[in-house]
Amino acid sequence: MDSRANPIARVVGGLAVGLLLWRAQLQMFINQTFRSRQAGRLAGAIVGAAIIVLAWSWEAIITWAGIQASSRALVGIDVVHLLSLAFLGYTAVLVFSSLLFSLNALLLNPDLDLLLVAPNPVESVLAGRMVTQVLRLMLLSLLFTAPALIVLAIALHNPVIPVVFAALYLLYPVFIVVIISVLSLLLVRFIPVGRGREVLTVFGVVLALGINLLNFLLNPALRDSGFARRPGVPPALPDIPAAGAPFLPSGWAGRSGAAVLRGDWLATAEWALLLLAVSAAIFVAGTILSGRLYLAGWIQAVPPRRRHPAAQRSRRISGALPLLNPLLASIVIKDWRMRTRDLAQLLRFAMPVVFIFIIFGLRFPRLLGSIQSLGEGPAAAMLGLVPGWVLLFSLSISLGLTAVSLEGKSIWVYAVSPNTTLRFLQGKVWSAALPTAFLVALVTLVAEIVIRPGWIWAATAILLAIAQAATVTTLMVGIGAVFARFDWTDARRMLNPLGVFIGMGLFAVITGGSALLLVISLALAGATGFPVFTTWLAAMTISVGGAVAVAALGVLFGNEHLRGLEVG
Amino acid sequence: MLSTRLLSKRYGSLTAVEDLDLEVGAGELFGFLGPNGAGKTTTIKMLVGLLRPTSGTARVADIDILAEPEMAKARIGYVPDAATLYDKLSAREFLEFSGDLYHVERRLRDRRIETLLKLFDLHERGNDFLSGYSRGMRQKVSLAAALLHDPQVLFLDEPTVGLDPQSARQMKDILQDFCKEGKTVFMSTHILEIAERMCTRLAIINHGRLVAMGSLQELRHMVGQDGQSLEQIFLELTGSREEDVSAVLRGLES
Repeated sequence: MDSRANPIARVVGGLAVGLLLWRAQLQMFINQTFRSRQAGRLAGAIVGAAIIVLAWSWEAIITWAGIQASSRALVGIDVVHLLSLAFLGYTAVLVFSSLLFSLNALLLNPDLDLLLVAPNPVESVLAGRMVTQVLRLMLLSLLFTAPALIVLAIALHNPVIPVVFAALYLLYPVFIVVIISVLSLLLVRFIPVGRGREVLTVFGVVLALGINLLNFLLNPALRDSGFARRPGVPPALPDIPAAGAPFLPSGWAGRSGAAVLRGDWLATAEWALLLLAVSAAIFVAGTILSGRLYLAGWIQAVPPRRRHPAAQRSRRISGALPLLNPLLASIVIKDWRMRTRDLAQLLRFAMPVVFIFIIFGLRFPRLLGSIQSLGEGPAAAMLGLVPGWVLLFSLSISLGLTAVSLEGKSIWVYAVSPNTTLRFLQGKVWSAALPTAFLVALVTLVAEIVIRPGWIWAATAILLAIAQAATVTTLMVGIGAVFARFDWTDARRMLNPLGVFIGMGLFAVITGGSALLLVISLALAGATGFPVFTTWLAAMTISVGGAVAVAALGVLFGNEHLRGLEVG
Repeated sequence: MLSTRLLSKRYGSLTAVEDLDLEVGAGELFGFLGPNGAGKTTTIKMLVGLLRPTSGTARVADIDILAEPEMAKARIGYVPDAATLYDKLSAREFLEFSGDLYHVERRLRDRRIETLLKLFDLHERGNDFLSGYSRGMRQKVSLAAALLHDPQVLFLDEPTVGLDPQSARQMKDILQDFCKEGKTVFMSTHILEIAERMCTRLAIINHGRLVAMGSLQELRHMVGQDGQSLEQIFLELTGSREEDVSAVLRGLES
């Protein structure tokens, strides 16, 4: 049978390609973990599995307790609406992940060419991608909810519950994955060659911000607007009345799920079959349409923009920084150029500022009123440090921890140069600490101006913020060197999870210790009659001194690790 | 100018390079040949300080690369087979950065950059990001960066891959001029025709072991047949058997 002429064969071929891809992904997962023969990876896999088992146990206990409580209290909960609401909420996650997955698969994954040169119709390859995505989503859903489903099955003496929900998890994402995949094919026509990663990052961030903002603006649970809540919806949950509408897939999935929970087989099958029929139709239509779109020229070769030499020269940094040796200045400028020219990197850099705005800006009047009620003095100045610390947390991780890994495969350029690794690390410390200290100082300055704790307290707080920004970022560069990754192709993989965990822990110790010291200094002044300013300065000195020591150790460890590294 | 003694590199039970003894003099354009996986790139990476040998010694520009790596590296230029460059830098910016890494005085650096960009016909696109460069153009930028600090020894790993015939010819001329100044080129290549035409001496490595070293004439004497091409010598010394290949291909047809 010529699969090119037969649409059904193309769809079936898509299923086959999808399963093939899925098998390859599973093999890669197993090879990278259990069969890696690397102690670190094996340990990571075991720890990961242990965490999952722990979370599952916790979820099972909570579900069991919930079932017991509801059977005693006889609370009237609208299960259809609750489940529909859950599926509707899941839709946002699906849209978000599908868009990223589809664009990623089309623009960045190196295996697309490999698949397209194989003797499979284009439709089958594109459909195969959708199948992989749906399977992945189903497994993720099961990963999160399996214990609850099993406990429900035991408690309600209904062993089919997990099976029906697994089927719903498989069917529900289909229409979204297909629609988003087709839309992605249209979208990539307008993305210039080589800009995929940037566009993808922007999309991810815009979608994340958009969903959060919409949730904040529209979700009655987050507002005190006096919205009338539907009966049966617990007050802790958001309420969207249309979620359970019988014309929406979330309503079908919700109804089928609710029916199996009450043991109504007929209703379960009716709604699940409706979902199956619509999903299958959309999958077939999407497969055929995606092939047509691809063959019509799925990507316009929009050439990368040529830079105008004159304009470019006028904007160029001179290549020197005052007080910095040329090599270190060169590393700082090179990193600055890399981070600001790559949209993905730039967003890493800019996002913390946006989140600072969201966290503090939206609640600004209430926060300001409470802090200003403290009056002038060190306590108010200390609270002014908080936005700076939030920013420092984010920037020291996004810039400090990635400073060394930022080199990626280009690390050979340093490795063959006549410079020590310590010199390289010094350059990296400057490149991460300069922008971090500047931004943290700026935010702290603004916070202190708004809070008005008195200029002397404000000045010391700003100095402390700058010193902490420099030391914490230096520490993160050291940790980043210990856990450096140079083989990444996707910038998100620059960070080693263990490195992030250790970095976050040490950040908490340093800032927590610092806050504790400042509080102790105030208490000490009150108890002993020492001038507050003296004890405050002593606390600052101890706090910064401790951070400097930890940072120096971090850099030394990082240097030792880099010295022993072979980048061949 | 360059020598190794019993240089070895092992990865667990796998021996990539074993007891390699090389001697390359000043002004030589030395060809380092071998089949895929023979250990060419591993050897070069040990000589430029990217990999640490498991045993043995290596001196480059008469400096022990293991004992004094920074001093040796200052005299080395290196062009990897697939140079990963900073995509978001322009060629000019990358060369500026590279010059700073090798401590080239700023004015001298800028002058050399302009000269090299013109030499490699990259002057017009010197301000474009490297992400927009073809493989051949990236290879040229990589070579320009390797020449920028005026090294004594230039290591090239498959330098002609991705180059058009014109650029390959240009590279050959540049390398020969480089050697005329008494400097050394150590080049690995798969293209035996290029090695035959360009190199003053050759070494052939197979399964990590040196199987022959000398001028083309000396290699011919070694296999006992004058007038043989480098390709024939290479196949003979590395044990590649054409008849076996034909048999296998015939087997695939049936």
